[in-house]
Amino acid sequence: MDPQLVVWIVARATGVAAYIALCLSILSGIALRTSVLDFLATNRALRSLHDFMTWIWIPLGFGHVAALLLDKTAQITPLDLVVPFQVSYAPLAIGLGTLSLDLVVVITVSSWLRRRMDDRLWRWIHRSSYLVFVTMFVHALMSGTDFSSPLISSVSWSAALGIGLLAASRIVFGRLPE
Amino acid sequence: MPSWSLKISATFITLFVLAGSFDYARGHVKNPNAPLQPPVADKPAASAAPTPSPAPTVGPLFTTRPGQRPPTITPGPRLTLAPGVVSATLPPISFTHTS
Repeated sequence: MDPQLVVWIVARATGVAAYIALCLSILSGIALRTSVLDFLATNRALRSLHDFMTWIWIPLGFGHVAALLLDKTAQITPLDLVVPFQVSYAPLAIGLGTLSLDLVVVITVSSWLRRRMDDRLWRWIHRSSYLVFVTMFVHALMSGTDFSSPLISSVSWSAALGIGLLAASRIVFGRLPE
Repeated sequence: MPSWSLKISATFITLFVLAGSFDYARGHVKNPNAPLQPPVADKPAASAAPTPSPAPTVGPLFTTRPGQRPPTITPGPRLTLAPGVVSATLPPISFTHTS
């Protein structure tokens, strides 16, 4: 098989899988602090899952980005991974992906350094996960090649709906104290 | 529920999605409905495109001897070739051999 074809397929597959892994991470994180699901607040297994999912989506996200860097058609440069809205043909669609990547790196690193950080600062940084999800979802919607597939689209929308419902219930019914 | 079962389930779901989307992408390499259509950098040269040759003409189907009246030709089915048909440079595969 043509190597360019392989990187293109890998970029698409890892993109969808990274999205699902991040959704599971965000879902487990919101569930821990939503008053409607207060019975889960002390659930160590769920907390452990939330931490564990980082090690699932990091290689998938890295694979997505690395494959796009190698894909000549995508025309993504290393600078585009850091500075959003620079790609010539779809600055917004791809720039939102860059923005979500930047944010998710900051959130992950801040979580690793949590014990050395001010707790309030860490909490505000961690809350930007909602923004990460929104930018990632719009990025997938605007640039996802496989979003027209009914199966992939339904899985993606279902994950988004789950996060939206939990986030709305957290706003309406309040969040649990730390 | 034990922690390991949640982790295994989440890992399995993610790997299932990865395998499924890999299989889908392999079966649908080009998606004309994709929202992004990046410009192709290395287009083949325009001169490389094959140009159709003019439609070949077919010679007379029979000859007449001297003094023989040519037969009346009744309009029948005509052999026409589509303009896109390219004539080959190979020798014809049919011939008449007399010994």
